[in-house]
Amino acid sequence: MARMKFYCDAERCIECNACVTACKNEHEIPWGVNRRRVVTIKDGEQGERSLSVACMHCSDAPCAVVCPVDCFYTTGDGIVLHDKDICIGCGYCFYACPFGAPQFPKDAAFASRGKMDKCTFCAGGPEEDHSSDEYKKYGRNRLSEGKLPLCAEMCSTKALLAGDADVIADIYRKRVVNRGASAFNWGGSEIKG
Amino acid sequence: MRIKTLLILFCLVLPQISLADGPPKSLNSPEGVSAISPGSELWRAVRQRDGEVLEGVSQVKSVDSGMLINARGDQWARFRISKLTTYGGIAIAAVFVIVILLYVVRGKIPIEGGLSGRMVRRFTDYERIVHWTLAIVFLFLTITGLILLLGKPLLIPLFGKEVFSVFASASKEGHNLFGPLFLVSLIMIFLSFARRNIYEKGDLTWLLKGGGIIGDGHVSGGFFNMGEKTWYWMVILIGFAIAISGLILVSPVFGQGRWIMELSHVIHTIGALILITVSIGHMYLGSIGSEGAMEGMKSGYVDINWADAHHDRWGKKCHDENLIISAEEYARLQGRKPDDTAELATEQGK
Repeated sequence: MARMKFYCDAERCIECNACVTACKNEHEIPWGVNRRRVVTIKDGEQGERSLSVACMHCSDAPCAVVCPVDCFYTTGDGIVLHDKDICIGCGYCFYACPFGAPQFPKDAAFASRGKMDKCTFCAGGPEEDHSSDEYKKYGRNRLSEGKLPLCAEMCSTKALLAGDADVIADIYRKRVVNRGASAFNWGGSEIKG
Repeated sequence: MRIKTLLILFCLVLPQISLADGPPKSLNSPEGVSAISPGSELWRAVRQRDGEVLEGVSQVKSVDSGMLINARGDQWARFRISKLTTYGGIAIAAVFVIVILLYVVRGKIPIEGGLSGRMVRRFTDYERIVHWTLAIVFLFLTITGLILLLGKPLLIPLFGKEVFSVFASASKEGHNLFGPLFLVSLIMIFLSFARRNIYEKGDLTWLLKGGGIIGDGHVSGGFFNMGEKTWYWMVILIGFAIAISGLILVSPVFGQGRWIMELSHVIHTIGALILITVSIGHMYLGSIGSEGAMEGMKSGYVDINWADAHHDRWGKKCHDENLIISAEEYARLQGRKPDDTAELATEQGK
């Protein structure tokens, strides 16, 4: 069994927002909801870094801890999904999430929240795979087609990686080794005499 | 060929030499390299390790979208689950046990000399409507709120997620929709009863004697006694805190961030749990705990013997001002209720 992970390489992300757009288009996400966003730190200053962030599919997810109706579940691949038929739209998962991943459509009366929407790692939901219900509620189920999340698949600089944790870690480790010289110049804390 | 190899070797060794000579510490020193990676400093700030917030910017414009890591969210989530839910549930259960024990030990506290049948006006119709409006709204919000707080550990194992989700969804919508009514009825309660609940001489004595729960005999009291006054001000002060934090929570459209929401949620829940636990005591003393007490909020009239026993200073005033009506007159009033008599009899309370 794989353990699915996202990884965003801050040394590569160029804040093109293609991942955000790809995600919105692939899943036909309603207006006002963004399953993924790019955050830029120190914008315009020296040491500027950008990161693409969505649900990080935590092992011990705070959203699942706090959910009053227990609508979250973790798949065999380590993907955190939720059941929109059980979700009541209380918003607690948004307060608990470290990454600000849960989103709420604002279409209900009296500014009440609709049912929560978040990144599914392109793995759909509890409905039958490729059913119209699943697509309407959770978007495309690419994982069951043997494809990886679209945001990472089409990242032009390959900053955003998605897939099995071992493979992702291996790719990143190779990158770090290749950047060894620059790490050396930093005097990286890993290097001990 | 040999020179070439030596040159390559020299080139490989060169960086080591330059680092070895560089201040302040050599690479071969036992302390290792002390320089800190600029990357680690940045991510340390992003993760709010030092308590400071480093906000970024994002093309996605929504609440807190520029904040990469919300470090307090997990703390709040675990506080809700491990502290609020657990101790809240225990506190409510404990108060129920205390009330049941009190009833078993003390029973219904009887009026000395029994009921006389002669009545005195205690509350106007408006005051009773205000009281019961707040009571009904409070009970509704208590039940719906507790379903959301305690449903996960208590109700999901009983009914399953699907059925509980229906309860919880109805509770959330009902709680949000009727919540603002709590503020309205709270303002009405404040305007109707504030004057009579100002603390006065003799209230401290009541407190020192424990309100008569321990030991025999009644403690001297005015129109409202010390305990009722304290309950009243708890309802007003904690009630307003609950109402304001509730309004912040119910309308997530003013751009309030997650920390404000987390803080509001904690204030809202702790305040509500305090009022719920104390209200159980209030409901007990107003109904099966004390003979004759329910009459005041049911009909607006109380037996004069009850007034003398529980609120002797007010009872004495009723005697002095001759506000007591006979049993026949009371029965007639209950059938017809002319406003002039009611108005006359209410004045004593003000």
